[in-house]
Amino acid sequence: MNESTKLERTNPADPRRRLWKSLGELTARHTSSLLMFMVLCVVLAVGAFMIGDLHTASVQTQKMYAGAVRGLREIGELQYEAQETRRSTLYALTTNDSNLQVEYADQSRGADQLVTDGIKRYLAEARAPREVELGKRLQADWSAYLKVRDEVLASILEGSTKEAVDMDLSGGVPSFERVRQDLEEVKRLYDEQASDQLALVDASSRRSVIRLVGVLSFTLLFASASVWAIQRSKMLNAVRLAKLQMDFVASVSHELRTPLAVICASAQNIADGVVDEKEQLARYGSVIRHHSSQLTELVNQILQFAATHEGRNRYTLRPLEVRSVITSVITNTRELAEEAGAVIEEHIAADLPTIMADFSALCQCLQNLVVNALKYGGKNPGIAVWAMSGHGEKGKADEVWISVEDHGIGIDSAELKQIFEPFYRSPAVTAAQIHGTGLGLPLAKGIAEAMGGKISVVSKLGIGSRFTLHLPAAHPIKLESQNQLEQRVSQS
Amino acid sequence: MNQGLHRKIGLIVAGICLLLSTSRGGATGSSRAPAVADESLAVIVNQSNPIEDLSLNELRTVFLGERSHWPNGRRITLVMMDPGLAERKAVLRDVCHMGETEFSRHFLQGLFTGEVFVSPKTLSTPVGVRKFVFNVPGAIGYLRASDVNSTVKVIKINGRAPEDPEYPLRIESRSAK
Repeated sequence: MNESTKLERTNPADPRRRLWKSLGELTARHTSSLLMFMVLCVVLAVGAFMIGDLHTASVQTQKMYAGAVRGLREIGELQYEAQETRRSTLYALTTNDSNLQVEYADQSRGADQLVTDGIKRYLAEARAPREVELGKRLQADWSAYLKVRDEVLASILEGSTKEAVDMDLSGGVPSFERVRQDLEEVKRLYDEQASDQLALVDASSRRSVIRLVGVLSFTLLFASASVWAIQRSKMLNAVRLAKLQMDFVASVSHELRTPLAVICASAQNIADGVVDEKEQLARYGSVIRHHSSQLTELVNQILQFAATHEGRNRYTLRPLEVRSVITSVITNTRELAEEAGAVIEEHIAADLPTIMADFSALCQCLQNLVVNALKYGGKNPGIAVWAMSGHGEKGKADEVWISVEDHGIGIDSAELKQIFEPFYRSPAVTAAQIHGTGLGLPLAKGIAEAMGGKISVVSKLGIGSRFTLHLPAAHPIKLESQNQLEQRVSQS
Repeated sequence: MNQGLHRKIGLIVAGICLLLSTSRGGATGSSRAPAVADESLAVIVNQSNPIEDLSLNELRTVFLGERSHWPNGRRITLVMMDPGLAERKAVLRDVCHMGETEFSRHFLQGLFTGEVFVSPKTLSTPVGVRKFVFNVPGAIGYLRASDVNSTVKVIKINGRAPEDPEYPLRIESRSAK
């Protein structure tokens, strides 16, 4: 009773534990897919990184163009327009025609306006103190030159050519030379900036290449490692499956050989006339029938597993009374229980809802659990079958739980994950000469899942095990509809 | 008989001539009412020139080159338009009271004798005149009022601005031609 209480404390429907368990199973099943997914994620991340890096390089190049290159182009235009300002003024000296002189003066003023605007733009965009200082100096020198230029132009237009030439030589030439030097300095500044930016872009480009090579190498290594891991995992699985199949063949051979040997020996005895009494003959017949039915059951189990595994079984779900299923299973296994000297106790809760299941499949599933409990019940043959209503997972319908509890050898916690795998047999039970095919539990699990349910297990080594079958409760409305349907069918 | 007839005809012709000359004198007088198709002829100087107002006589002195400097010390540069243009004709007629030949002779003679200090610059378009005056601080020229813009300064004549109905310098507007 104490052991039973211990088992009860561990709720098989604990959501967190089940979630972790499900995740573990999922990971184990889909290792290859997960690895491929990780490779895909890494490739995507690398792609995003590369795009980001290229974008950064592009932005830097654009900045370089917007800054230094455009600046150089503009300063070139400024130099040209400044020269044009002076050139047009000097052209006015070459003619006495007032109309032409006015035209040259006009050209000079048009060019000087462009230079003035350009200097303003330069000052507005200047950020570094050196740029601002240079811009202000250029502006001041340009204004000084324009003052002289205006006087020279006025003298030319007045007709005082000598005065204009003197004024230009004494004031115009030096002030224009200062402007020219300022513009050269601005150009040098832009050149320096362009060189700096170019060096930055070059460094960035080098960094990008190094990063790219590194990231590609890492991706290549990771992908290779992933492919290797996938291949290895597949190979190990194949080896494991082959071993399981070999074990299965050995086990099945053994299971087949024992009843066959008995049947052959009995048949030989009858053929040799060793058995002549009627009573003895009947006993031999009984032995042959018993072992034949064992063989049939074994073959059926293998075929059913194969059908369930391939998804060929189609179950007809209908509302069932849990009690009737349990009663049927206990009746079917009574003989086996008596042989094992075990007693099967029933604990069925009152007002248990009906369940949606296929009767024969459910009986098969439950029977497998009971037979397992009898087989591994050890020296303590007490077996209990519990049935109670329980809550399903969040957002799911209520369930009915049918537990089969034994107080036998129990299962090592490390093996709990494997016992539902086909052909798996615990080394402990193999060593204990407990015969089996390793198909009972996988078959029960397959049936439960096909009916929208599942099987959970709680076990402690040396204390016992409890397998719980979770099945969805039939909805009352659904039950009613089913009843009505049945009534209508019977009426028609 | 013949002598008496000739005398009468001579008197009539003399009377008609007198009437004609009287009527022409009235038309050129300062009190002439503006014609419908007239517009003002503005006298312009550089924006830096402090001069605001000139009498018609002072203007005549300037345009005949008999004055060399402005009160601010700047040398006067006289800007005329090409011979034959309506603006020039109006200035010669209303300011200088001279014909083209007389005006040319005045300057040739004046420069030779030293009585004239300024040789006029000749430009062919109103835009040229405006730009010249804009560029030369001591320049003075003339333009139709409709050709004036903010780059030059318009001075009053006899205290009258060009938009004043009593403004003395008028010119036939281009649209009336």
